[in-house]
Amino acid sequence: MTRAIGWAAPPLRALALILAISMIAFFCIRAVPGDVVDVLAAQGDLTAAQQAEMRQAMGLNASPIVQFLTWGGRALHGEFGNSLRFGKPVGELFLNALPATLHLGLLAFAIGLGLALTLALGALAAPRSPLPLLVQAVNIWSIAVPTFCIGIAGILIFSIWLGWLPAIGHLGLPAAILGIDIAGQLVKPLHDELRQAQAAPHVRTARAKGLHPLRIGLFHLLPTAMPVLLALSSVVLAGVLGGTLTLEVLFGLPGVGSLALNAMHGRDWPLLQATIVFLAAGVVLINAAAELLHRLLDPRPRR
Amino acid sequence: MTMLPPLGRRAALAGAAGLGFASFAQAQQAETPRRGGTLRIATLGLDTADPHRHTGSIAVQQAYVEALTSIAANGTVEPFLAEAFEVSADGRVHSFRLREGVRFHDGSALTSAEVIANLERVKNRVRGGWLVSAMRLAESFEAPDARTVVIRMREPYAPLLNLLSELWILSPNSPGWDDTITRPIGTGPFTFGDWRPKARFVAPAFSGYWQPGRPYLAAVEFDLRDDADFSLALRAGDLHVASVGRDKLAALSRDPAIRLGKLKDTNWFFVSFNNRSPRAPFDDLRVRQAIAYSLDKRAFMNFTAGQDGIVTNQMVIPGNVHFDRAMHDADAHVRPDPDRARALLREAGVTPAQRRIELVSWQESYAQVAAQMVTRLGFPVNHVALDDLGAQRRLGQYDWDLAVFSSGPRADLFLRYVRMMSDGPNPVLWGGVQDPEFDALVNAAVREPDQARRAVAYNRAWQRVLDRYYTVVLGHSQNVIANRSEVQGWDPGFTWACHWASGGVAQAWLAPRNPAPRG
Repeated sequence: MTRAIGWAAPPLRALALILAISMIAFFCIRAVPGDVVDVLAAQGDLTAAQQAEMRQAMGLNASPIVQFLTWGGRALHGEFGNSLRFGKPVGELFLNALPATLHLGLLAFAIGLGLALTLALGALAAPRSPLPLLVQAVNIWSIAVPTFCIGIAGILIFSIWLGWLPAIGHLGLPAAILGIDIAGQLVKPLHDELRQAQAAPHVRTARAKGLHPLRIGLFHLLPTAMPVLLALSSVVLAGVLGGTLTLEVLFGLPGVGSLALNAMHGRDWPLLQATIVFLAAGVVLINAAAELLHRLLDPRPRR
Repeated sequence: MTMLPPLGRRAALAGAAGLGFASFAQAQQAETPRRGGTLRIATLGLDTADPHRHTGSIAVQQAYVEALTSIAANGTVEPFLAEAFEVSADGRVHSFRLREGVRFHDGSALTSAEVIANLERVKNRVRGGWLVSAMRLAESFEAPDARTVVIRMREPYAPLLNLLSELWILSPNSPGWDDTITRPIGTGPFTFGDWRPKARFVAPAFSGYWQPGRPYLAAVEFDLRDDADFSLALRAGDLHVASVGRDKLAALSRDPAIRLGKLKDTNWFFVSFNNRSPRAPFDDLRVRQAIAYSLDKRAFMNFTAGQDGIVTNQMVIPGNVHFDRAMHDADAHVRPDPDRARALLREAGVTPAQRRIELVSWQESYAQVAAQMVTRLGFPVNHVALDDLGAQRRLGQYDWDLAVFSSGPRADLFLRYVRMMSDGPNPVLWGGVQDPEFDALVNAAVREPDQARRAVAYNRAWQRVLDRYYTVVLGHSQNVIANRSEVQGWDPGFTWACHWASGGVAQAWLAPRNPAPRG
């Protein structure tokens, strides 16, 4: 019974979290001044009477509570409504934007994780090589160098001067830039964790047995550092979902970040609300999956 | 009925030549157009699939929908889906002869019944926009035969021909016709393809287009991203045509594969007073004059548009039929006169240091230049720079003194005047003028069928704006459009439209890419 509750708790907690985020987001969004009719009017040619008529037709005059209940009722049936600005179903707009974000995010995460593991293990296996210095450098790079600066430099070099890559709509360069950024966030704590794990008795035993440093790193040290890596990765991956905005804009890969930003600028509440809920669900699911994986890999939380 | 050829409404605009920009047409090769290829354009966005429901500037939907009339590159109105049109002597009855052989993208033929269905839809089912206001002035829509449409207005309404250039004719079979159209079926050279709002729109060519042999391109792809810097994509060859900021011109002009041109109509820049509820001392004409004397129009335009900036006191530039040379030459504020400004303030009993000016603008650097000019009189200035929506709401509260803004190209001059009328749409940028006499002067111009007399009538209304200092025009600039050298047969138009009767994407084609070294 206790074990069943232990396994069921994370998904239930996740569901409650998504509901809470939906509610908070709904009322925060409504607190922002202006609505989509103001946006349309700012573009040019609506009289005051026409604006009033449009607000009435869009249901924007109802109280926030009524609007939330209406939205919530529909959302429970999987209907997130139409974009007030574009007249298209918000689900369709989100699904249009999702592939760009997923492709960029996952590719960048794979590059980042691979680079972080390679550097951390390499630096551990060859402590007198330049690799430990490289660990520091990549970490400082991710903190100090904005990705959009490197993005512009990358476009100038690879797209305009060399003509090797398209300037817009190409995944390789932005994924590499974001990947290095992710590697910088992961590599330092991972390297530190691995160095601490070196003092563990089972590692000392492995070394006494004369095992190759790389083998020790991969099979004796890395499992020890796995919980930390998992926790860090879930945070980074969740951040990547909504955090690719600058590179999306720069490289013409309109994804979920751009979608949310445009919905905010256009006061397109149904679209913004749905995007926040979908993103929140994504982040919560990633964290829940990480927690479950942690429980599988590490018996201690199960006790 | 004898249909007359359309009258020239505006003379060709002078000034574009000689400003350092090459004419696209001159630079293009005289070759046989090549077929195929996708033209990639980035100018403005596409906010709705329902062409009757647009409220702002538009540059994309012309690719797949057309109208009875069109605005030519020189600003004149020309026939489009109507091959001829006629206006009765009293200016109330507009008759249109439809072109033969025009088909919608679903294969059905265009007749007067479809045109009237579109007019009725805008009049009765669409909620917002100036087209709705214009259509509600119509007394009746008549179809004497399958190729003739007659619009009978309640009163003479001269802007109609120009305004109809943005009333797109769609097949009533378009999905969503009874509510919001989701997939427009038009008559344009390209069809409504894959639309991803704020991302891209792809329009494949229409094989049954009514202009023989056109379009040459296989498709047009629009980049719909807001606020993106398109200059790098242009230089890399990922875009063919794009509007670019003036800060990018230096780099683009060095690239041999890029040509620069300009939209023919202008953005006009102005400082407006709060006219709806002016706060002392800005309700005093002398204080308004003083502010106008503090503004250095040439310096402002140099900052905004470099040497291409056009300084005048009017809402059009030299060369436009509505431009009044005498009024321009009589501009008392063509040069700043701070001494005169201070004398006027003294006369009005105003001590500038004791009155803080609330100045509202968008988050644009040019507004700060105007603010600094006013500051030199000794006024403390609280400059509130807001985004589009913030500015819209703040201006609507009429709790400010000065507003520094600009406004873009329009299909007809009336669309600039109407914003200053008492019941005009979105009047806030011009301080919400409430002046029945000004309204009457504009309405007199609108009711005047004769072009020359109408220009005089409009200028009477404008003289009242100048006399009352409702707004002070700082000058004009033209949006810069860059295109790659492989784009042939295309030139920026009068408005943002990507397709019009005598130009645009139907006539454009792509030459083989020049392998010139990149700059």
